[in-house]
Amino acid sequence: MTNTRTDFHPSIDPITREIIGAALASAAEEMAVGLHRTARSTIVRDALDFSTSLCNGNGEQIAQGTTIPLHLGAVPYALETMFTKYGDDICPGDVFILNDPFQGGMHIPDIFVVKPIFDGDQRVAFAVATAHHLDLGGRVPGSSACDNTEIFQDGLRIPWLKLYDKGKLRQPILDIIRANVRVPDMTIGDLRAQLAACHTGEQAIFRIIERYGTETFINCARDLIDYTEALMRAEIAEWPDGESTFVDYMDSDGCDGPPVRIQCKISVEGDSLTADFEGTDPQVPGAINSTISYTASAVALCTRAVMKMDIPNTAGMFRPLKVIVPHGSVLDPKMPGASSMRGVTGFRKVDVIMGALAGIVPERVLAACEGGNSLVIIGGMRKGSHQPYVYYELVSGTWGARPDRDANDGLCNPGNVAGNIPIEEAECNYPIRIERYGLRKDTGGAGRYRGGMAVDREWTLLEGDAQLTIRSDRRDHLPYGLAGGKPGSGSMNILRRADGEVELPVMVSTPMAAGETIYHQQPGGGGFGDPLTRAPNAVAIDVRADRVSVQAARDEYGVLLDEDGQVDIKGTEALRNERSG
Amino acid sequence: MERSLNNPTSEIRIAADVGGTFTDLVFLDENGRLTTRKVPSTPPDFDRAIAEALDASFQTEGIEPTSVSTVCHGTTVATNAVLERRGARTALITTRGFRDVLELRRIRAPQLYDLFFDKSAPIIPRNLRFEISERMGADGEELKPIDESELDQIAQTLDKEGIESVAVCLIHAYAFPDHEKQIGDFLHEHCPGIPVSLSHVVLRQRREYERTATTAVNAYVRPVMRGYLDRLRTSLTTRRVHAPLSIMQSAGGLTTADDAAARPVFALESGPAAGVLAAATIGSASELVNLLSLDMGGTTAKAALIEGGKIPYSAEYEVGATLSAGNRLTGGGGEVVLAPSIDIAEVGAGGGSIAWLDIVGGLRVGPQSAGALPGPACYGRGGSEPTVTDANVALGYVKSGPLGGGDIVIDADTAYSSIKENIAEPLNIEPVAAAHGIHHIANAQMLRALREVSVHRGRDPRDFTIVAFGGSGPIHAAHLADELGSNQVLIPPRPGVFSAVGLLASGIEHHDVRSCQIVANSEAIEPLQMLLDEMTSPMLNQFATESIEPNTISFQPVFDMRYTGEPSDIRIEVDHQGKLAKTVDLARAMFEEEHHRLYGYAGESGSEVEIVAIRLIGRTEGGGVNCFSEYQAKDTLSGSRTVTFEPTDGAIEVPVVSRTGLHETPGPLLIDEYDATIVVPPDWVATTDPLGSLILNKPMIP
Repeated sequence: MTNTRTDFHPSIDPITREIIGAALASAAEEMAVGLHRTARSTIVRDALDFSTSLCNGNGEQIAQGTTIPLHLGAVPYALETMFTKYGDDICPGDVFILNDPFQGGMHIPDIFVVKPIFDGDQRVAFAVATAHHLDLGGRVPGSSACDNTEIFQDGLRIPWLKLYDKGKLRQPILDIIRANVRVPDMTIGDLRAQLAACHTGEQAIFRIIERYGTETFINCARDLIDYTEALMRAEIAEWPDGESTFVDYMDSDGCDGPPVRIQCKISVEGDSLTADFEGTDPQVPGAINSTISYTASAVALCTRAVMKMDIPNTAGMFRPLKVIVPHGSVLDPKMPGASSMRGVTGFRKVDVIMGALAGIVPERVLAACEGGNSLVIIGGMRKGSHQPYVYYELVSGTWGARPDRDANDGLCNPGNVAGNIPIEEAECNYPIRIERYGLRKDTGGAGRYRGGMAVDREWTLLEGDAQLTIRSDRRDHLPYGLAGGKPGSGSMNILRRADGEVELPVMVSTPMAAGETIYHQQPGGGGFGDPLTRAPNAVAIDVRADRVSVQAARDEYGVLLDEDGQVDIKGTEALRNERSG
Repeated sequence: MERSLNNPTSEIRIAADVGGTFTDLVFLDENGRLTTRKVPSTPPDFDRAIAEALDASFQTEGIEPTSVSTVCHGTTVATNAVLERRGARTALITTRGFRDVLELRRIRAPQLYDLFFDKSAPIIPRNLRFEISERMGADGEELKPIDESELDQIAQTLDKEGIESVAVCLIHAYAFPDHEKQIGDFLHEHCPGIPVSLSHVVLRQRREYERTATTAVNAYVRPVMRGYLDRLRTSLTTRRVHAPLSIMQSAGGLTTADDAAARPVFALESGPAAGVLAAATIGSASELVNLLSLDMGGTTAKAALIEGGKIPYSAEYEVGATLSAGNRLTGGGGEVVLAPSIDIAEVGAGGGSIAWLDIVGGLRVGPQSAGALPGPACYGRGGSEPTVTDANVALGYVKSGPLGGGDIVIDADTAYSSIKENIAEPLNIEPVAAAHGIHHIANAQMLRALREVSVHRGRDPRDFTIVAFGGSGPIHAAHLADELGSNQVLIPPRPGVFSAVGLLASGIEHHDVRSCQIVANSEAIEPLQMLLDEMTSPMLNQFATESIEPNTISFQPVFDMRYTGEPSDIRIEVDHQGKLAKTVDLARAMFEEEHHRLYGYAGESGSEVEIVAIRLIGRTEGGGVNCFSEYQAKDTLSGSRTVTFEPTDGAIEVPVVSRTGLHETPGPLLIDEYDATIVVPPDWVATTDPLGSLILNKPMIP
């Protein structure tokens, strides 16, 4: 132990803290497992776009399930607005819901369910379950469309409401939701899964209180937060003081308009870190505006990811971090800015923050990943039953190269935990056929360490007419390389029609007819370091596995191969000397 | 050795459980007399340890090899081959457009916030994954026939690349296998001698990645398993043991060595399965049917939940992942295998787990383990970092002096000073308090595994008895029960070789499955019956090759059910041998009940229930509880040891006793045995039951 801090004064012994902390983490995990198993939509089931948390009686997070990292900072902002609205009117048996991004929510599809937990009269904790719903009404199937231009097109807005009032369900709320969404059984089913998760969290807190007593639980919750803060500060203190600024862009404002600039300046001073987003573009017409809580999440996620220590997911993580976001910008829009597709902005924020951190702790940051998952949504009516369907797919992902090793080819972006949808399941349940799913050659950014290969996927619509919505990015602004590494390749959307192929914009909503095929290729990951310093044999192995072509080996890496695919050592040396000379 | 087998004409049954560190052999004669032998494993030639142990036992026990009637075997050979990437040079043939399905997996990253995480390499490299032009639709329509000229090309490449094993997995082959059969026939003819694993033969279930991975793993370990079992057979034969060799499968039943060699993917989790099965068997003999089994060894602890005497099954598990990575939601980053297996939760907490302090003085335990070498500090074999075992020694739970056979000698002073220097002094607390903390933090981790299989599935652990075994399980069991609110613990006889005894208790078992999508109503009966018949006849043939009489087999249908539209299903096992229509009705009712229990609600009236897979299990009875009978502890021990249960209460003198003849004997007690130490804390009472199991109870305080 090199650096024990003296300003951390626990109120209970560290062993009890560790034991109760483990029980709380296990409880949040239990909530997540339950929500995952009972939810009906593929977006929860396969994309894991949900999160579960436990908070202390003040609403400070004390545990989070292993769920989507970009929800990390959502809960404190949400609960703050709930306290403002309800004050002391928070009673045993109440359950609150919210999705309004202008009242502490994230975007329309994410519904928060919050249950206060009481020991007698004393409020000791909150259980929180947040899930992305497949559809909450609005302009297009799946609610989310990049070219929604005001929040009313994003779907039904739910302010903070008591869904249960002292244990009594307020049915009209469910009736209104049911009447406003395209797949009501699924939406209500997922909401019910969230309620069940909160109940699970409550039972777990009761078990802990029964075992250890209320006072120990409360002290432990406080200590866990202080302990997290101490861990964070201890590690930031080891970083050099200084500033680093990074700028990156999204290709479009959501409505086929101009690129959108995001800027972040990271300042490290002692054991604190400030992320200042001044210089970021104003809010945009399309639905890619984001919220402050989402920006705070991104800062916490990146800071945590570059740390060496494993940090508990508690409110203490935010204490050493200061986040400055200009109001009215694309990161904090004013009414009635649309935000249903803010996910892409979240991923770009992560890229910008990472880029800035590379100026502070270069040995711990990776080159840009694929820029986050793309969304491909196909919605229409089934031929036989005339029931509406929404096929909602997240296509992800590939990584950037690291300072000491290659990227992972074909792996979900670190800001996310999404999975893919099994092809055979999709084809058995939806009127689509998947023609291809794989990795593309020559797409990973060249470097001493190679960036990840791009993932591609292709769907054919088999019946009727449908609405196709795509959210992708990084066709023009490529995933950056670091330390001399090249960027990854850009994304691509091609609609194959009877009369030929059309290239679609990165963010688009358009009709699609039976027999038509949509091909989407994700961006590749950035490379790290000078490609001419890559081990020639590593290039030969990539060529052999068809990840890199013979031509790219020569042009990008300066490596010549003989007929058997072995490195031509002399030729390579000569070529590389010529290039670097 | 407990007692010599002095009747050489008696029939002997042998079980061999081979783990990474130790190989355990058990010999059981017709009169129920049992002897054990524990020897170090001999990787990578695992069969050598078995041969040596046999030679030694034949000599010292006077066993006549020809009197051996069966050899049951649990092995980790196949799993290790995947973990260490020592499988065959394997190729994959798949539908054009999908050669990366195996590499992309479910695309999930198993570990959050770790930018330096490396995805494990696919077991079949990209250049050995071949695409072929063909396609079946989801409804069985042939959209594109196989291009045989491409097949010809692939066959030549297989030869040129020196391929030793081939996996074939085509889109929708779980239901429409014609194209796979065609490829199988072609390869059989053109590449004789290369074993071919077809996905629809290995696993008839939907989900292309899981089926591809399962088939690929099968192909990858097939030559390894074949070679291993052939060597073992030869080694038995040269020792004049001609008895049939049976292999434990992941789902808990035995199968022939031939079957295991052809479908090794069903026997990957052979060792842990035997332990859970043994727990169920010994529990039911003591009329305990609701059990939480806990197997705690040197590096990990494994938990499983047995309810109503039923073995819990899991739909999938992973091989080749590191243990500390991942969780139930994201997976661990290994290859997902959909073969039936016993549902076991595992955490990286064992006797060898290392205790350490983080940067702000937080005390943590694991996941790093000192393993068998260098081992805990107290082993004096070069380990200096304090481990859970060191804490148990410092607290007085584990005695100093020779351990087991005597190869390792425990030094209490080293344990104490290691904890003092590394943990207690920096934290400014007493070494005994630090040891107490390490013990309980290790418990907190094991509780995660125990909770994962109980409360996470809607089960209240207070309704369950903990069955603890493995080298360290019996030390921690009662404290774990305290934390869970359970007031009963069962420590089986010979806890250290318990899994080996479990092998003898098992019957022969075969599993099969068909994916489907059938609404569970009266119209379901006909298609379900067809699927059942389709599975029954090959299974009967398999039993026939094992010389099993049909009337000794019990068949059990199992349904994977869900409400229409739900993405996950629940496995429903019905104890009903009558008409299928009645069975489906019962299954539907059980499904609704289970759904309510797991998720707090059932469907609204009229909600459609779907069957998405039907499984068939065929079983025969095994040796059952008779295998555990007549336990005699060797010497009656006496004496006492100084133990600290609670640092605030100080150290107390605790009697050391033998397990024989205990009857509601109040704790604190310590029971030192050949292969394990049992801790009975204050507030608990210990009773030995007729089978030799030690039952610990915590009487309710009035």
